[in-house]
Amino acid sequence: MPDRNTPETTAPERLRIVIAEDHYLVREGTRRLLEDTGEVDVVAAVGTAGELLDAVERFRLDAVIADIRMPPDHHTEGITAAHSIRARHPDIGVVVLSQHANEQYAFALFQRGTDGLAYLLKERIGELDQLLRALREVSAGRSVIDPRIVEVLVGSHIRTTDSPLAQLTRRELDVLRQMAQGMNNRTIAESLSLSESTIEKHVNSTFAKLCLAEESQLHRRVTAVLTYLRHGPTGPA
Amino acid sequence: MAGVHGWPVRVLALCGGLGLLYAVPAGGIWISAERTLAWSLGAVLPCYAAGLFLWWRAPAHPVARRLMAAGSCAALGLVVRFTLTLFVEPSDWNPPTPLVWTAVLVARTIDVVVSVLLVRLVALLPDGRHRYVHERVLLGALWLLTLYPPALMASDVPEQLLSRLLVQPEAWLPAVGAGLLLVRSLLPARDRGARSSRLTLVAAAAFAVLLGRGSSRLFRMWQGETGVAYFIGAALGALPYLLISVGVVYAGFRHLLPGMDIALRKPVVYGLLWLIIGGWYLGMTTALGLTAGQYLPIGLAVLVAVSATMLFQPVRGRLNQLAARRVFGARPSNFELLVQCGTTLEHAYDVKRLAPQLATSLREGLNLRWVRVELGAADSGDGPFAVATAGSRAAGDIGSRAGVRLRHGEEILGFIEYGPKDEGWFTPEDRDLVETLARQAALAVHNARLTAELSARVDEVQRQASELNASRTRIVQAQDTERRRIERQLHDGIQQELVALVAKLRLARNQLRGGGSTVDSTLTEIQEDAVRVIDELREFAHGIHPPVLTDQGLAAAVTSRARRLPIPVTVHVEPTVCARRFAPEIEESAFFLVSEALTNVLKHADAARVTIRISHAEAALLLAISDDGVGFPAGSRLGSGLTGMRDRIEAVGGELSIESRPGGGTTVHARLTERRRETTHA
Repeated sequence: MPDRNTPETTAPERLRIVIAEDHYLVREGTRRLLEDTGEVDVVAAVGTAGELLDAVERFRLDAVIADIRMPPDHHTEGITAAHSIRARHPDIGVVVLSQHANEQYAFALFQRGTDGLAYLLKERIGELDQLLRALREVSAGRSVIDPRIVEVLVGSHIRTTDSPLAQLTRRELDVLRQMAQGMNNRTIAESLSLSESTIEKHVNSTFAKLCLAEESQLHRRVTAVLTYLRHGPTGPA
Repeated sequence: MAGVHGWPVRVLALCGGLGLLYAVPAGGIWISAERTLAWSLGAVLPCYAAGLFLWWRAPAHPVARRLMAAGSCAALGLVVRFTLTLFVEPSDWNPPTPLVWTAVLVARTIDVVVSVLLVRLVALLPDGRHRYVHERVLLGALWLLTLYPPALMASDVPEQLLSRLLVQPEAWLPAVGAGLLLVRSLLPARDRGARSSRLTLVAAAAFAVLLGRGSSRLFRMWQGETGVAYFIGAALGALPYLLISVGVVYAGFRHLLPGMDIALRKPVVYGLLWLIIGGWYLGMTTALGLTAGQYLPIGLAVLVAVSATMLFQPVRGRLNQLAARRVFGARPSNFELLVQCGTTLEHAYDVKRLAPQLATSLREGLNLRWVRVELGAADSGDGPFAVATAGSRAAGDIGSRAGVRLRHGEEILGFIEYGPKDEGWFTPEDRDLVETLARQAALAVHNARLTAELSARVDEVQRQASELNASRTRIVQAQDTERRRIERQLHDGIQQELVALVAKLRLARNQLRGGGSTVDSTLTEIQEDAVRVIDELREFAHGIHPPVLTDQGLAAAVTSRARRLPIPVTVHVEPTVCARRFAPEIEESAFFLVSEALTNVLKHADAARVTIRISHAEAALLLAISDDGVGFPAGSRLGSGLTGMRDRIEAVGGELSIESRPGGGTTVHARLTERRRETTHA
């Protein structure tokens, strides 16, 4: 999730990445596309999660692109690999490319924290800007989630029984919903016709209710949004 | 008829009875028991008793009147004869005084009258009325025979020859009657029923017997009127009277005599037959014993008398048994009853039929007034399942009933109640018999229940088998339908889109070659199209099988499916089920059930909310999908989707039930027996 409060930091040097993708044409296509931009240096392109973990050990990297589904089992090897990379190399960001437009996979990816992780649909390869931006975000330790997933979550009318959102006021939920759509405090204030300081107050009480007061500003913002998305907004208020 | 001719007939009957009362002891004591009892007890008494009885019950019936008249006349004949023998001096006999002569004439005429009456009776069976002209003429002419004794006596015939000639009508007339009856039965008649062939048979048999009896008269004349020959003659002479009496009583009882539709009580008929047979037996044994006493030393005579008694006793017993059998129907002995009931019970698989069978055979076998059989476990709470009563239960019988329980092990399977016997006392043997039968019946009820249970189970298995077959067929059909759908969607949807893409790519190349500036927008369009195809393909693949189900399990897949529902949905997943993985077929069946149910809610329910519950109890996965929609009436036919769901759920050993009522929403419940997944995936 790109945070618009944070100014873009464009690294002057080329990003060093590894691509892990079992399908040869996709793998080579992606590599060509990225190298063509001149902003990325594809250090290696591998076909399995094991080779990916090897490459991570061997090269100094900024980020990796991992297919969610890889041999041998073709399930969620990409997510598992992302978790182990993040655990051992917190400075390497991971963009998981997925063919599943399903939020459950995003939740699985973000279940241990959102830092340095991105969940993108595979067809975003064609939208090179988005892919590049995601690579930069994760290499900077931030997080990105595919707009398509957000769309599903925002449009949902689900309500699960164990929702921590139950303790939020209606106004706090409104603010959180806007936050989930990627707005910063100022744009939220404009949209709800409230002052920015009021929004600030709502945001802080929301963080407190979700037990995020101690976290860093950036992290708790993303986590709050994810909590919101995961446990289901009550629908348009 | 009885009103017009009532009193002369009554006087005749009375005179006959008084005559018998006088003649039997008088003849037996003062004249000679040997000479009189065989006749008076063996012939006249049966005839009179049977006649009196039938006339009493059906005074207008010609057969009854004739029999009664014959018996009474014969009794009067006895009176005249015995009185003459007792009171007339020997000197008055030869030559006879006019009084004696007249009395003898009367006695002899009476003999002829009796014979004629019997002929008419036999010849006109069964209704006692003339049917043909020859009968009327012939039977009318027979009355002329009453002139035969006076004519003979008036003529100058030697005494020896006279007595031989005089007995001829009595000897032959019964055979004439039987012959006429035979002719009658053979002649065609409009109203002859099925009985005519039987009548022919009876008539032919009677004709043969009575003809033989007439012939015996000749033999008796030749052998003389004394000793054993006399006894045999008397025995044979009594035969027609005995046969006719028994035959008519039996026919009356069996309603074989048209017009005699009296309801004869079985015990009375039996009593009458018993009396006839008993009289005959007494007469025969006495006559034989005394006859022997005349010719043999006293010791030997006693031996003969005892032998005769013993000889006739089985005959009498057999006759009585035969009478009882004919009157009461085939009444089995206790042992026979036991065997018969046992056989019935052995094959009684239908408990409903068992009760009446048991009641009837018990009642008939033991001659009980009524029997009530109640079958069914007393402790089952739903009352007896078969009750049968044989015989009618009078209000007064309540106090005198008794009962036996049907037990099998500790279980009470029924109750037999019964009233008093029709005649005689209820003996301990009878009680034993009832108890034995009750034990057999209990076993039979038990067997019948087992059989019923077994057949119910077999039915159930058959039903399940056919349901399984149908369900398999539906599953296969559903699979085929699904494959056709996939094929169509691939060909008509995605493949066509790819073809369009190819076309657009070619367009882009053309534009590029022409150096046109529109190539960029075309390529953008192509990319958007391609993304759309990818999207479509993803949805399509998801529809075939949602990957999240395989990768993350049921709870995640259901939640994800719920998230895409356009109406508010609440998902309750029990924490123990959340991360749990089940066997793939269980997860898939459960997921497709939820999916199908949600599709139905959207399509038909018009619901504002849906609630999905997934829980876990007793090694089973429980699903419930309820909505607050319009519902449907109970008993509605399930749509093909839900039928398919039921097939799927049942195929993996689960159960599906649907609760709904109009306006009250619908809840789909499913219960799937838990099977854990062998290998789990992260």
